[in-house]
Amino acid sequence: MTKKAFLLLTLILCLSVALIVAGCAEKDGEEVVEEKEEIVIGAARSYTGPLAIQDVSCFGPVYRMWIDEVNERGGIYVEEYGKRLPVRLLKYDDTSDMNTMTNLLKKLIVEDEVDFLLAPISTAFLKAAAQICNEHNFLLIGAEGGAKELEPLMAEMPYFFSLLNYATQQAGPLVDMLAEHNIESAAIIYIEDQHGLEYKNDLVPLLEDAGIEVVFDKAIPMGVKDVSSIIEEAKSKNAKALLCCAYPDENFAVMDECIASDYNPDVILFGPGACFEVFYQIYGENSEGVMGWGAWNEKSSDKLKDLAERLIAHQGGERNMDWWGMAIYYAGLEALEQAIEKAGTLDHEKIKDILATEKFDTVVGELWFENGGVPAECYPGQVGQWQNGIFEVVAPNDKATNDPLIPKPKWQAKSE
Amino acid sequence: MKLKTDAKNVSYLVIIILILAFLVAVPFISKPYTVILLKNILMFVALTLSWALFSGPTGYISLATAAFYGAGIYTAAYLGDVLPLPVMVLCGGVASFLLALIIGAITLRLRGIYFAIFTLSSVELIKHVLHWIEITVLGKRGRPVVKVSDSTVFYVILIIVVLLLVTTYFLKRSRYGMAMSSIGSCEEAAAHIGVNVVRVKVFTFALSSFFIGLTGAIMATGLIYIDSQIAFDLNYSFFPTLMATFGGLGNIFGPVIGAVLFSYLREILITKFPYVYMLIFGLVMILTILYLPNGIIGLAQTIKVKFLGGKDATATGRKVN
Repeated sequence: MTKKAFLLLTLILCLSVALIVAGCAEKDGEEVVEEKEEIVIGAARSYTGPLAIQDVSCFGPVYRMWIDEVNERGGIYVEEYGKRLPVRLLKYDDTSDMNTMTNLLKKLIVEDEVDFLLAPISTAFLKAAAQICNEHNFLLIGAEGGAKELEPLMAEMPYFFSLLNYATQQAGPLVDMLAEHNIESAAIIYIEDQHGLEYKNDLVPLLEDAGIEVVFDKAIPMGVKDVSSIIEEAKSKNAKALLCCAYPDENFAVMDECIASDYNPDVILFGPGACFEVFYQIYGENSEGVMGWGAWNEKSSDKLKDLAERLIAHQGGERNMDWWGMAIYYAGLEALEQAIEKAGTLDHEKIKDILATEKFDTVVGELWFENGGVPAECYPGQVGQWQNGIFEVVAPNDKATNDPLIPKPKWQAKSE
Repeated sequence: MKLKTDAKNVSYLVIIILILAFLVAVPFISKPYTVILLKNILMFVALTLSWALFSGPTGYISLATAAFYGAGIYTAAYLGDVLPLPVMVLCGGVASFLLALIIGAITLRLRGIYFAIFTLSSVELIKHVLHWIEITVLGKRGRPVVKVSDSTVFYVILIIVVLLLVTTYFLKRSRYGMAMSSIGSCEEAAAHIGVNVVRVKVFTFALSSFFIGLTGAIMATGLIYIDSQIAFDLNYSFFPTLMATFGGLGNIFGPVIGAVLFSYLREILITKFPYVYMLIFGLVMILTILYLPNGIIGLAQTIKVKFLGGKDATATGRKVN
């Protein structure tokens, strides 16, 4: 054998040994441990890449606080082991890449043998993750993401539970509110995405049925910066409501353009972005009267007031709040905890049956699942509106924390 | 001299057969995640080798890998439930081949940074065209992909890598390979001695894209659900380029070693250091470019020359078109 070939063979053997050691060594050490000392929760989420911002501002602060709180209580009581088991998070970075997410999710299930999983970020990732989990009879409770498109698949995926509101649940209360306030016309801007399409497709027939003229519905591409022509058109057609079903970056671009061109319809609503505290921090007085999907706030209930205070305290006093999802995400984790304690075991089939059939006492009140999703009545609100620095719930009426401010006040100043 | 060369070739062949035998046995002897991990590593090997098949000898830096990979993924998404797996994978390769013929015919008259930018832009162009069609014509974004077991995907990727190695080996030794190398050395001189420069470049570009398409089509089956954003991820244009640079373009093993080490390093970083993986990744690349311009294979050859004697094959640089 030549020297070169020998060197190559040595390199390959080293690599093979490294791979086998990586694949086997760690687990061999753990397999001998029979006594359960902790509950390991795995997460293949986006800690880097374009989706990472959602971990920072949406579900991330919630699950981090929940784990700390559970451990402060001594853990989750599991009858099978006759004791409370503390929770440990094992997290991997999917780098906002679908292939990496699916691989890491399988690693968490089959190699790390984690006890439970946190959901990955975005509707597309959820769709893939839900199927993988169902193949392994592994529970998955969704977080950021969730589309109506998932609804027909739910029956085939009994181990998947979706938390976030569907477009259908939010469009109805919004249109009812617009009709009550005699809004005559609306312009819809929607992002070229499944999210935008679903909201547009739900809103248009509801608005027309309510006698509200849809002056236009226009798609905008992701990342668009210049929306001046669309805003100009809405202004020229005197649309009394501007409904922008886009993502934060595009919503902010539309908001800036509305202020810059002094287009001030009676109602202006944005999709994800308006519900973040950072929206108020950016726009200050100009946020007054701006609506967004959601919604909950410190006035919704004592439990939610307490949740908000705890979340803010857990983030070192920073008001990094998502007034749409955080309450229902936390409620989902509470439901999981209660289902585990009720099942008395970590067996996913038993816990899944409890989640599917029982009701849970949570921060949003009584929570239960129907066809894997959360019924509309469980949410603390569907539409929010910034009023004096509070994201007030304004629809549906029975969940409202304040009356809607319609028409919204004039812009206070040019874009800040 | 001939006896020495024959012995060397036989040694290589034995080593390759041993590695292949080991890989074929992996799904039977290892844990399920080892198969998934190796599948992923082999995917990067296939992409890097495909990239190096064209960009290595010609010196043209193509950043269109994500376009061809995405074309394979979309082919699988649309044909996966109507065609048998091998035919579907083949269609992914053919779709990418045809796409590369079109892109190549337009771009391969450009050189240097212009070619790189155009190929990079082609990824974005195709991504947004598909996105527009889905939203405005089909009224629905993304679609599910037929699912295949990890072991099957692993074996298909392994076959693609073997085909790539064989193709690269024989192409390099053929008249065609010589023509590609001559283009890399001096395109004007190559044209002057009678090489049909455009035809050679376009065909090799399409051939390398064929393998990228095959890889995309089979890998799509593990994604379960895709949309244009997922399928045409620019990272799949950059990773093969970085991996080949990391491994070294001096010979056929450079891209393979680069892809294996790089993808394994990536796996360690995303699982052990979730927030800093890109930071460490970037540092490794900067250090590689500064101190290992010929990659790992160049380092190995330098060490060999220093300690065992012999000629340094990496001593001569290559001009990048």
